[in-house]
Amino acid sequence: MSTELLVPLHVSYIQNLGKSTDDLTYHLTAHLRLNAIYWGLTALFTMDYPEALDKEDVIRFVESCWDEQAGGFGAHPGHDAHIHPTLSAIQILVMYDALDRLDVPRVVKFILSLQQPSGVFAGDSFGETDTRFSYIAVNALSLLGCLDQLDKDRTVDYIKQCRNFDGGFGSSIGAESHAAQGVFVCVAALTILDRLDEVDRETLAWWLAERQLPNGGLNGRPEKLEDVCYSFWVLSALAILEKVSWIDSEKLTSFILSAQKDTEKGGIADRPGDMVDVFHTQFGVAGLSILGYPGLVDLDPVYCMPAPIIEAKGLRKAWKGLERRVATT
Amino acid sequence: MHGVKRVRESPEAAAAKKLREQSKIKEYLALNDDVLAKKASNDWSREAFNLTTRILQINPEFYTAWNYRRNILLQGIFPGSSPKEINDLLTDDLSMTTASLKMHPKVYWIWNHRRWCLENVPDGPGTGTEGDANGWRKTNWDRELFVVDKMLDADSRNFHAWSYRRYVLARMPVARPETAELTYTTRKIESNFSNFSAWHQRTKILSSLWGSGKLDYSKSKEEGKSLRNAMYTDPNDQSVWIYHRWLMGAGADKDVLDREIAIIQELLDEQPDSKWCMESLVHYKQLLLKNHSSSVDAATITNDCRRLLGDLRVLDPARRRRYEEIEKQLLC
Repeated sequence: MSTELLVPLHVSYIQNLGKSTDDLTYHLTAHLRLNAIYWGLTALFTMDYPEALDKEDVIRFVESCWDEQAGGFGAHPGHDAHIHPTLSAIQILVMYDALDRLDVPRVVKFILSLQQPSGVFAGDSFGETDTRFSYIAVNALSLLGCLDQLDKDRTVDYIKQCRNFDGGFGSSIGAESHAAQGVFVCVAALTILDRLDEVDRETLAWWLAERQLPNGGLNGRPEKLEDVCYSFWVLSALAILEKVSWIDSEKLTSFILSAQKDTEKGGIADRPGDMVDVFHTQFGVAGLSILGYPGLVDLDPVYCMPAPIIEAKGLRKAWKGLERRVATT
Repeated sequence: MHGVKRVRESPEAAAAKKLREQSKIKEYLALNDDVLAKKASNDWSREAFNLTTRILQINPEFYTAWNYRRNILLQGIFPGSSPKEINDLLTDDLSMTTASLKMHPKVYWIWNHRRWCLENVPDGPGTGTEGDANGWRKTNWDRELFVVDKMLDADSRNFHAWSYRRYVLARMPVARPETAELTYTTRKIESNFSNFSAWHQRTKILSSLWGSGKLDYSKSKEEGKSLRNAMYTDPNDQSVWIYHRWLMGAGADKDVLDREIAIIQELLDEQPDSKWCMESLVHYKQLLLKNHSSSVDAATITNDCRRLLGDLRVLDPARRRRYEEIEKQLLC
């Protein structure tokens, strides 16, 4: 088991993802392609390899996912526009400082058109709604500098109705608190909207701290199994509440590192011994960044993007990860 | 990818698998291209509909194919169909997705498609003046509750299924009494105390029943009794303690606080290393200090809390910083 982050292996793992066209899974996950590029690119930026992919190739691929009819991005060329890949497209373009390649007014119109009378957002025209999409809308509009066009009160009004007695949030009104689908998305959206007053900070931080299991990993709900991706969902919310110190960071670091694949293939899995994927690679690296792992770039837990980029856009909110450690070797 | 074990295979086995995969990839991509080409040309035919069935059975996460399928129904098939035929088509789609859900219980798009089907069931078989215009809807929605019961039997924590359950209960043409849902949560909890999803559902149902006056709030005392059993069964299970915290709320009733503190203390005496006993005692004692400071011995309670927090720091070192911060707040 590896005791350090295998940066070169993970970089080459991400670089090779686009070349796995002889793998059936590659084709069966086309509906996540743009999201996957965002995950991979964010991990690369966080590991300080921002040039590991061909920038122009990536931007051209993003452009090829544009759904002219709807005015948003699908996850893959020919796929329908949906709010989630639309955010991924925007995030990728922001990381590459290429927002000039985007028809901003049309995308903003697409996003705003998805808000429902209750204040929640739908994912696309067929109307699946939940707080994930509210967060995505808030995040995207903020990155585009168009938050002033959003009906913020209505957006917040829905989110606050998703709050539960345990301090957490569910993905819809009445739903159980869930670290990712509820807590992260609602807390981060409220942070961007400067409405953290809607959060019961003490109670939520207690609930979040109790997500850590004896093996160091974090779960997403009481009495569930640990999973590397919660290293981001739980930690990001703790970072926003400035309570990362309420869990054992060393044990969590070891847990994430133990889920790495240490052969030449690289990548991080949901837990030790499982198949790796780019989603868990990204959220494992993201968690390590918030934990102050040596050599990584700060990751902004609110936007889940490299902190220097968010700072340069003047969007940085109050949050606190652990201080970056210096490598001992 | 969640919970998929890594398997070690020889290079030869891996190569053979790759080779077998190539024909599958070819077949899948041909189907994929066919679906997308038909979609691009606004083909709303039966043939296109059947192609979406095929591809969605292979890949139920292909959201564009679900959208296309619904558009084919709306643009191409429903306009020339009788209400009965529409109802039959939607019932077929519900059956198809039931089979799909069994294999993929956590795919958003499948759950989402079911909602769309239910919401599009037409009036019938009666007209309202003659026969029940809600008949088809009743049949479909009633069956839906049965399906979601089965899904929660298979995985009692599936949050998609719980969300869907709440959605079905809220929108059924003939509402089910909330007391029936309370009974359901009792059954789920009795079969597994760790099922926090069921405890959570119970907080929502009880709040609603108390709020509407359908259930007497003073009955919450009985609710407390049923928790004892769970607490004693496994004092380390978070679910019951989190639920208990909900039941106690802001701690306005001093008698209730005193009673529960005594019970938890008794359990702690039997199980001296129960973190959740200590953690809950600290919380409820703080509520005593906060809400009932004039009628308690503040110095003794503060000391109790300090001692418990000291024990917690040792017993649960991962969260020791939290205990330290609580202790600091106690001092001021």
